[in-house]
Amino acid sequence: MLDLEYYDRILARALRFGGDYADVFCERRRAYAFRLQDGTIHEGTTVLTQGVGIRVVVGESAGYAYSDDLSLDALLRAAESASLIARGAPNGAQRQIDLTTMNVPPLYDQERTDHAAAARYVALLERADSAARAYDTRIVAVNAHVTDELQDVWIATSDGRFVHDHRPMIAFGVQAVATAQRERASGYVGDGGRTSIAYFDAHAPDELARDAARIAVTNVEARPAPAGEMEMVVGAGGGGVLLHEAVGHGLESDFNRRGTSLYSGRVGERVASELVTIYDDGNLPEERGSITVDDEGVPGQHKVLVENGVLRGYMQDTLNARLMGTTSTGSGRRQSFRFLPQPRMCNTYMPNGTATVEEIIASTKRGLYAKSFSGGQVEISKGDFVFMVAEGYLIENGKITTPIKNATIVGNGPDVMTKVTAVGNDSRLARRHYTCGKGGQHVPVGVGMPTVKIGSITVGGTQE
Amino acid sequence: MTQDEALELARDTVARAQRAGAGDVEATLSVTRRFHAEARDTTISKLEGSTGRSLHVRIFNGGRRVTLSTSDLSPESLDRVLRDAVAQSEFVERDPFAELPDACGRFQGDLDLYDRALAERDDARKVDDALALERLVRAADARIVNSSGSQYADAVTTVALANSRGFADAYLSTRASRSSGPVAEDAGVKRTAHYGTAARHERELESNEVVAGLAARRAVEMFGARKPATMRVPVIFERDIAASVLADLFAAVSASNVAVGNSFLAEAIGERIGSDLVTIVDDGTLAGRLGSSPFDGEGVPTRRTPVFERGVLRTFLYDTYYARKLGARTTGNSTGGGIGANTFYLEPGTHSLEELIASTPRGVFVLDTIGFATEHATGTYSRGARGFMIENGELTYPIDEFTVAGHFGEMLAAVDAIGNDLRFDGSVVSPSFRVGEMTISGN
Repeated sequence: MLDLEYYDRILARALRFGGDYADVFCERRRAYAFRLQDGTIHEGTTVLTQGVGIRVVVGESAGYAYSDDLSLDALLRAAESASLIARGAPNGAQRQIDLTTMNVPPLYDQERTDHAAAARYVALLERADSAARAYDTRIVAVNAHVTDELQDVWIATSDGRFVHDHRPMIAFGVQAVATAQRERASGYVGDGGRTSIAYFDAHAPDELARDAARIAVTNVEARPAPAGEMEMVVGAGGGGVLLHEAVGHGLESDFNRRGTSLYSGRVGERVASELVTIYDDGNLPEERGSITVDDEGVPGQHKVLVENGVLRGYMQDTLNARLMGTTSTGSGRRQSFRFLPQPRMCNTYMPNGTATVEEIIASTKRGLYAKSFSGGQVEISKGDFVFMVAEGYLIENGKITTPIKNATIVGNGPDVMTKVTAVGNDSRLARRHYTCGKGGQHVPVGVGMPTVKIGSITVGGTQE
Repeated sequence: MTQDEALELARDTVARAQRAGAGDVEATLSVTRRFHAEARDTTISKLEGSTGRSLHVRIFNGGRRVTLSTSDLSPESLDRVLRDAVAQSEFVERDPFAELPDACGRFQGDLDLYDRALAERDDARKVDDALALERLVRAADARIVNSSGSQYADAVTTVALANSRGFADAYLSTRASRSSGPVAEDAGVKRTAHYGTAARHERELESNEVVAGLAARRAVEMFGARKPATMRVPVIFERDIAASVLADLFAAVSASNVAVGNSFLAEAIGERIGSDLVTIVDDGTLAGRLGSSPFDGEGVPTRRTPVFERGVLRTFLYDTYYARKLGARTTGNSTGGGIGANTFYLEPGTHSLEELIASTPRGVFVLDTIGFATEHATGTYSRGARGFMIENGELTYPIDEFTVAGHFGEMLAAVDAIGNDLRFDGSVVSPSFRVGEMTISGN
């Protein structure tokens, strides 16, 4: 998007007072979206954002400035603004930067340069709408959306790397609302990844829509959640949100370098039941959390976070890795050119164990079967978390019985990880478009898990 | 970019869109100059300063609505994306309610949204400000051993809005904020906390001393917390958490949720929902407040709208589209794409927070919640929480790892005391209040 020589000049200006490192993140993002409501296409959206973020790092300090004006003058002014952090710092020597273009094998289509014909998105939404309505007469409303996005990033660094990544992303979701008597409930299902509208030729939107309708109808008949401590069986796929919140965030290197995470300084220690292994993987083809290179130009990696209960490593971006005497794990991500990169998760999941789902359910006397979650949040230093159950059932005497609604579970991440008593053989990534928020920045991620049993958890509900 | 230049660009965009084939058009340009300094220990860990521009266009082609956002303001790019947006509109269904507002204009009166001293403040002083806050929070208690940073940030924003019915106006505003995130450690247990505050004017911003004191107290007061028993007791929500309850309630009175059946209040206009104490207002005209502006996101003058009066639900909050759809009048709550709060607040009571606690024989004082599950469709409220046990009118010991749950309707009906500690540091704000009975789930 910019002349190549611009990058050299911007980096040189950014390092005018010196500094340990500088980078330029140039981004263009185009999105094309439609929304369906009340059975008709309600709104269309087009987005074009572009700009350049310039960072200068000195020790553990970062200077940052961005510009959406791409003239060389404006970019050099931004570089000067970012350079101020290095005023008076050591490493004042100017240096010559020779950029070498990196070629990293892509994990997703690099060729598609535009969205598809509008009619294809419209047809997708209309199919979802009729499938959800046809599922059950109690479905009274359907909302659906599809967003097709192409993000191009060009990253130039003061250690001489230059890399371009072209990232497609499609996200589709259906919400169905059911009513019965005076009760209302909704179900939501989404899908997508770093692919195109063609993905939905093989993954019929009708099935997703029927699933959303099924959850809505199940929830409208559901009983209020019981309150108190009980066993919990977490469903395959979407249950991975639990790993993301309860463990993943605590293993991001910024919290650990600053010593604010409860996992700080604990690599090599036992932190979970020996049944627990957790990976974070940026390399899974076309998955939502995958990145050919991260937003600092480092290739995505497969990382072992926890292995048989032992903490193996953190997710690193370049700044924290350098300060901790290690290398980036390709985890430096940002929402857009307006933000500094942070260490973030990609696709976080637990691989297969040995139990079958039937065994796990049959071994549960009284518990909550949390098939999927609608969201969660964690407090980093102590690890306390909260999850909202999107689809849940009671397990009584080894059998799934009544659907329950509005269950919230609370617990403590490290504590829960020691209480994992069974891991299923049905691990998979969730088919839903998860977005992770941290420090005001949102990035797409994937989560996955087999069916897992947790010995005890607190369920917050209104029924004793 | 000056206000006049911003306004000219907005007008020019409207003309370009019409040349590209658009019927009615609205263009909003926001230009924001941001500054952010974060101090950690004795150094500045982040220093950011940038100016960002964002152009938001809505096109109504005979009821076919498309929206367009771009940061590329070059004429060639603008013409291209406007043509694309007009083409996209042909795939959108005609919606008779999708139109520009009938009556645009501005609130007549000085809203005092701009603090010149703040806009002209020297960056070096702001950096010192962040360093001073970090020093204060670390010195506030011996158990504070670390921090995730202390921040000072401000922004100067120009908003210019023009539409094809001849409305064109602009305003300038400022915003400053400071916050701190201390980490305390006691007997090997770490606790993080966060306290932040914001204001339009520097003189209104809570001082470093106040912010450091509150952040530090939040970090240390939870040590020794126990998990409470499962019980039904009165619950006092501290003002910041009370504001988060109000934010959930806002979703239920927002006409966009009401229209699609996503609100438990959808059929409740005129009904008594809350207790006599509950009066909740949305007001875009409070001088000097963060939620104020002369016109909303589609150029409709802002106003004061009582939403609940002594417990009775009087109205939902509308933009032009949902007002037309539901046969009401806009309340000036458009964000230019959805419905948002101006200043949405619970009218304060006369008691101090201390009096609220002292008049509670046994209950729970909620200081923090985590989670964001809100079923505004069903009205269910359930959050992870931490706070204090109240026994005989006194805070006895900290409690955590529990949930607090109930139904919004029942919660509002059971509000039996409201504090006098309302503070306007955001667009959804509330004094502390007490709910007569809720479910606490613990052991």
